[in-house]
Amino acid sequence: MTKKARPIAAITMLAMFAVTLLLITPLGAQQLSDRAKQVGGKFMCMCSCSQVLTECNHVGCTTSAAMLKELDRSLARGDSEDAITQMFVQEFGTKVYAEPPKSGFSLVAWALPSIYLFVGTGLVVFVISRWRKRPAHQAAPAGGAPGISAEMLERARAQASRETQD
Amino acid sequence: MDVFGTFALILAFVCAVYAFGGGIAAIITRHPLLIKSTRQAGMATCCLIFLATFSLEYLFFSDNFSIAYVVSHSNRDLSTFYKLAALWSGQEGSLLFWSFLLSIYVFSVLITYRNKNGELMPYVGVVMAGVQIFFLTLNNFVASPFKALASPGADGVMNYVARADGNGLTPLLQYPEMVIHPPNLYSGYTGFTIPFAFALGALLARYPGEKWIHLTRKWTMIAWMFQSAGILLGAHWAYAVLGWGGYWGWDPVENASFLPWLTGTAFLHSVMMQEKRGMMKVWNVWLVFCTFLLCILGTFLTRSGIVSSVHAFAQSSIGSWFVGFLALIIIVCFGAYLKNRDYLKSENQLDSIVSRESSFLFNNLILLVSCIAILSGTLFPVFSEWITGNRISVGAPFFNKVNIPIGLLLLFLTGVGPLLAWRKTSTESMKRNFGGPLVIGVVAGLIALIFGFREIYSWVCLILCVFVASTVGLEFYRGAKVIRARSGASFMASAVDLTMRNTRRYGGYIVHMGMVFVFIGLAGASFNRDLQKDMQQGDTMQIGPYTLLLQGFDTRPEKNYTAQRMLVEVLRDKKPLMMLYPEKRRFATTTENGTMVAIYSTLKEDLYVVYAGTSPDTQLPVLHAYLNPLVKWLWLGGAVVVMGTMVALLPNRRAVLVLSGAQQPAAQPLTHGLTPSPSVTLREGHD
Repeated sequence: MTKKARPIAAITMLAMFAVTLLLITPLGAQQLSDRAKQVGGKFMCMCSCSQVLTECNHVGCTTSAAMLKELDRSLARGDSEDAITQMFVQEFGTKVYAEPPKSGFSLVAWALPSIYLFVGTGLVVFVISRWRKRPAHQAAPAGGAPGISAEMLERARAQASRETQD
Repeated sequence: MDVFGTFALILAFVCAVYAFGGGIAAIITRHPLLIKSTRQAGMATCCLIFLATFSLEYLFFSDNFSIAYVVSHSNRDLSTFYKLAALWSGQEGSLLFWSFLLSIYVFSVLITYRNKNGELMPYVGVVMAGVQIFFLTLNNFVASPFKALASPGADGVMNYVARADGNGLTPLLQYPEMVIHPPNLYSGYTGFTIPFAFALGALLARYPGEKWIHLTRKWTMIAWMFQSAGILLGAHWAYAVLGWGGYWGWDPVENASFLPWLTGTAFLHSVMMQEKRGMMKVWNVWLVFCTFLLCILGTFLTRSGIVSSVHAFAQSSIGSWFVGFLALIIIVCFGAYLKNRDYLKSENQLDSIVSRESSFLFNNLILLVSCIAILSGTLFPVFSEWITGNRISVGAPFFNKVNIPIGLLLLFLTGVGPLLAWRKTSTESMKRNFGGPLVIGVVAGLIALIFGFREIYSWVCLILCVFVASTVGLEFYRGAKVIRARSGASFMASAVDLTMRNTRRYGGYIVHMGMVFVFIGLAGASFNRDLQKDMQQGDTMQIGPYTLLLQGFDTRPEKNYTAQRMLVEVLRDKKPLMMLYPEKRRFATTTENGTMVAIYSTLKEDLYVVYAGTSPDTQLPVLHAYLNPLVKWLWLGGAVVVMGTMVALLPNRRAVLVLSGAQQPAAQPLTHGLTPSPSVTLREGHD
């Protein structure tokens, strides 16, 4: 890119981004029922649809309507989030949680992804360090193979390097 | 026709067994006639599966209600479109459909390489036949779609009976995407059988070199493309039919389709390490094995009932067959690996940590971590029940928390990876390639902050999207500029020419651009909002800049259902914009109702309106409206990904060197011991 073209390209990209941004700027205040949505988002719908309570609206689902009504009543009574959780867990068991609680055996579910990431990263770092220690391919004898000058060899290498850039 | 179909399936099974057993004998004896006959048995298996599938479709189209599967999934008034889709709407038919799609791949492979790779193909044929035998066993002996309806007569003898009409297709499946989503997804699942067969075949045959990698690349890309399209079409179906305003709920069946996609993506990247540098041979073979295993695991999860899902088939005992097959594959893969692992010795050597090789390693790490995290999250409820006795659900909030950071890391690598050089990237090259995009990304982030962005993940996602789009854009710009300077063609024509000269590279960039669009769509989800209201005629509802005015209701009788529609006028700035007709459908054959969401979709946002039934308190109809920003980018991104993959599948058109002997002047003596130097002309052509 020429020096002249660079600022134009940059400004164009930024302008495009600004337009995109304008398009998606947050849309203002949320509804009052958001408290119910926030608490309801922590439970699963028990109609076996595998959806979060506040998101289940699939055809014929009466379970989510009943659960949301119960949630509304609890919130109107001023029940705490813990009390509501206890109520749902007593009624439906631990499968009502939308995400595993961060206690007891459920902690395993939370710990596993981090363990995978750390172990995986460790492995990659180990592999990279091992591969870096390996000697490069046996160097060509000084002056290269008979009939091939060092300069030609270098040019060929450069060309191979260029051509293998995918 | 049912007898014909049954017979075709039995014959197909026999042929597949012959292709498998004869193939092993051919490998041992190397007898050319045996090799040829087993290949032809493989082709015959495919033809017979085609016939069986067409038989079942014929039974649907001819309304043959003496067949249990047809009765369960069709009725006379079902439209032709959905009678076609009824084939894969239930357990038995979808398994036959699986065999059908697999046989298309197998047939194509057998035809394509009938006179090539003679050392490798018998092994590949045996592996493909082995997979076909498993599915044909299910088709014939476990879940036959051709079972006839029968009832005991007065004498106790079973008599065939026929029903006047069928039960009809599940309302949820009567949507256009259900006609194209499963074929795409199944084509992805079944397509991964081919790279698996080549990988295992090459390992068993100790096939020299990287040729199996070259042979399987396009098959892997085809399977990956179908899998990508299938996943996104499924998401669109969930969005438009289920009516919950979202497209991805981290449902176990959705996750099952995503897992092989992740490992398949990892393979498509890491395979380049083997092609270019002869590295990661063991890793690549195991990635292919794992991808195929995950395809079978996904099918097991969908069909066994082990995890609950709205997408799953009815609970059945078929799961144990899949467990057995999974165990067998694992044993065979381990056995082959242990026996021939010396064949996979690689020349792993890394010159620099800042190199394309390192970026591929990290790309694979992130994809694999995501895959294992999703898998363990999906299976955690089962394990928690086994270990503690309590089933603990793992829903969307968990998967979002785990996968959003991983996804952002991957997006970052999408921008960085392709611009790093093989072996070593110099500081100068880093500055040249990343300086501009990095500055643009950071400035974009600052602008976003000024505009009030406070959602951290969406903010980071948008910065990365700008960064990646800039890197990809600059790559096209630089290449096209060089061609334009030489040819004088327009910039667009130069960009097309550039792409066609290295389809794999620039097709890959297009795929990356598609992923940027997908991420833009995903970032918009943070700003979703919705509103629900009991509505009477004339009532209005305000959501975002839109006013929804309920003008009334109507009833529209259709052939297979009756639609009750809300007539909703959409106004913007008090000016009429359009009419939306969200509807509920009542089907004659079932007590289940269907929903048809009405969507006004723009690049900015989707106005998504659902007729959400009747309020139990007020007895008034309920209108549920959602304003979902940027969703259209997701579908657009999917289309771009598919387009990019297609481009990458095309052969390169590039300048080739054509050597022609130069005319030597007669009088000129030849230099002793040297041949005349050829003149070199540059010619455009396909390689």
